[in-house]
Amino acid sequence: MSHRLDPNLLLELKKYGDVNVEACFNCGNCTAVCPLSTEDESFPRRMIRCVQVGMRDELLGSKELWTCYYCGECSETCPRQAEPGEFMAAARRYAIANYDRLGLAKMLYTSPALSLIFLALVAVFLAAFMYTQHGPMNTTSLALFQFIPDELIHNLGVAAMVFIGLVGLMGTVNMVLQIARADGLTKAAIAGNSGIRLNWFEALWDTLGVEVLGQTRYRRECETAEERPPWYLQKWFIHASTMWGFMGLLLATALDWFLALLGIKPTGTWVPIWYPVRLLGTIAGLFLVYGTSVAIIKRLLKTDKTSSHSITSDWVFLGLLWLSGVSGFVLEVAIYLPRASSWGYWVLLFHVSVAMELILLAPFTKFAHAIYRTVALYVHSLKPMATVELARPAGAD
Amino acid sequence: MASDKLRVDALVVGGGIAGMQSALDLADQGYQVALVEKEASIGGKMIALSKVFPTLDCCSCITTPKMSAVAHHRNIHLLTYCEVQSIRENGGGFVAQVLKKPRYVNEDLCTGCRQCEYACPIDLPDPFDRGYGAHRAIRVPFSTAVPQIAVLDIENCLLCGKCEQVCPVSAVDFTQTPQQLEIEAGSIVLATGYEVTPRDAKKEYGGGKLPNVIDALFMERLLAPTGPYGHVLRPGDGKEPESIAYVQCAGSRDQTLGVPYCSRVCCMYAIKQAMLISGALPLADVTIYYMDIRTFGKGYEQFYQNAKAMGIEFVKGKVARITEDENQNPIVRVELIDEGSRVVERTHDLVVLSVGMLPRYNPQPLYGVPVADDGFVEVPSPNISPCVTDRPGIFVTGTAAGPMDIVDSIMTAGAAASEAAAYLRARKSASSVSTTTGKERELVYA
Repeated sequence: MSHRLDPNLLLELKKYGDVNVEACFNCGNCTAVCPLSTEDESFPRRMIRCVQVGMRDELLGSKELWTCYYCGECSETCPRQAEPGEFMAAARRYAIANYDRLGLAKMLYTSPALSLIFLALVAVFLAAFMYTQHGPMNTTSLALFQFIPDELIHNLGVAAMVFIGLVGLMGTVNMVLQIARADGLTKAAIAGNSGIRLNWFEALWDTLGVEVLGQTRYRRECETAEERPPWYLQKWFIHASTMWGFMGLLLATALDWFLALLGIKPTGTWVPIWYPVRLLGTIAGLFLVYGTSVAIIKRLLKTDKTSSHSITSDWVFLGLLWLSGVSGFVLEVAIYLPRASSWGYWVLLFHVSVAMELILLAPFTKFAHAIYRTVALYVHSLKPMATVELARPAGAD
Repeated sequence: MASDKLRVDALVVGGGIAGMQSALDLADQGYQVALVEKEASIGGKMIALSKVFPTLDCCSCITTPKMSAVAHHRNIHLLTYCEVQSIRENGGGFVAQVLKKPRYVNEDLCTGCRQCEYACPIDLPDPFDRGYGAHRAIRVPFSTAVPQIAVLDIENCLLCGKCEQVCPVSAVDFTQTPQQLEIEAGSIVLATGYEVTPRDAKKEYGGGKLPNVIDALFMERLLAPTGPYGHVLRPGDGKEPESIAYVQCAGSRDQTLGVPYCSRVCCMYAIKQAMLISGALPLADVTIYYMDIRTFGKGYEQFYQNAKAMGIEFVKGKVARITEDENQNPIVRVELIDEGSRVVERTHDLVVLSVGMLPRYNPQPLYGVPVADDGFVEVPSPNISPCVTDRPGIFVTGTAAGPMDIVDSIMTAGAAASEAAAYLRARKSASSVSTTTGKERELVYA
């Protein structure tokens, strides 16, 4: 098998994070110390080696990039202090930038100033666009969706979802092809071969249920502190809290929309705090704000290896999540205040713009890991089912 | 015993192999030498080793004659159980204040018959056996100690007086006190040696809490004929190990321990020990987990190839973690770099940490000799004068200057002796010139 080598790969990767792997002497400590490395899954050393020698395709085709949760144990114990954990994070950013053929992710990751200007412009544009469509500000009661029509928000949201769906699909196809190429699989093998049945559904459960929602391996393996901190400060919970919070809010929004579509409750109807959908949103919001707040504090204080290297994309992602969550709560306070306050309308505009930006740019920011990690883990879980007869000789029947 | 004042040409600090050789090389040229050793016997680390690489000579057999030669040389004043406390310059030479620690045994009377040792009721961990063997509170330090004079550990003594009763020459003396000694010397040779990585340095390797994870210096004792068990047994339960693993670079080339350098001896001693184990336990499997094998000296590469041919398994990969199973068998977790990068956990009966060399003594405060970033004595021109320190008249030899093996220690010992001799000659001729100008300085030469 021939390999194409790119001597600039390491230099290129350095734009994506605090990468110091030229210090690495390939001792294998990182791989062996990693609680997730096994006989079949070996990282990070092999990926570092790929970068040292310039094997771009092998790097981008490594599904192992996405099995790492950056617990920081490898960086903690690396005899060369080459920061293999941060290398893996940078390699994931590099992979996201490569799966995205529009080049937007690359810009957002590699030029901090440009990316901040771009993000500000998008937010301002979204806000301005919605403002141009605004209706009256009711001063007697807080009629938010008279100010910004809920139709507009919903339609924009749906458009954004379709957009990220398409871009995400494109990236996912790119990634799967890269992985398949690196693994030496043909297109026929990916599309399915009548002779081989894979564990499609079991793998789906393993990925979405066990790994993503359950955070099982993250929870069990990746807490590296010598004395386990209380559960609410463990790495997996901070991540899970953010993720569950975001998913809960997404679900609440969708449910609210469905209720309106079904004519049960028009959007914007005042409901008490214990109304199921509102309650779900509130609780999910608490999870989101807790998770992001702790994550931000940890990154500010650099409490461990995981949180000691922060690049613009980390701050942007956390910042947008946090702002969406906090502005949502301010909005909720405004709704339950006895009298309508005009600032409530501005908070709504802010909240919707930030949340919209967060969703719209998901495939290009750190948010993209939600797509790629899930798909990579799914591909990883796929195995031929044990019961099928493999390689039946031709003409045996 | 020595008087309160001593005048010599050279003061050698440290009685390990480098210090002994330097002292002998100077004394053989006719210089008067004082050799100061803080322990009760000379011999250093080498006398505790089993065999030397790459010749597999018996260590006792080649160290003991050196120790005797030092003790009996007419030009060497041997001062054991002594520590240099201060140094000052005096007319171009040095004056050292030396503390002579009390042995509680009269050196002039003691014959080393060990009656006291047999009578003493106190057993203490023996540092000579890395704490695994035992010695009495009063004892001759070890069987081949030089001088053969007993020493009493007063801290752990019950003052029961049994030793005093049995001593045939009434040498035990509980009333001894520390004594001060002044040594005037024209030059100083530092041979203060090294320390090994503490066993508990790396928490990933069990933090020193796993009973069947030992350091290589203890394996030397297990392999030595005078070792604590008389056989290679693992300390946890006394079982004869069938599978022994070496973890290389367990303390070297590891920035998490603040040791970026290679200790230079670990590859060779691990290979040597693996060979010796093959002799002591012919059925045992020996595996050496390594990052790189560095066999740079004369005959070393052949030594390594011989070991491979003997069936010793070499596995490329740094051991990241050592745990143990319910039978206290150590489990090493390692990436098999040359075997598909698989991460495996392998169980062994005994794991030996190939610990590295650390600086053991900083001479800056006392001798005004700076140390380099690695903590070893700074040598301004390591290529052309590897034994010359920053301070004129003070030279360095052996592992005080940096990690090196016995071969190199002996070589630098000769080099340091030569440098010191040249320095003393130059000073002598300078002082004879100054005699003519009326600025005579008193110098004593042999």
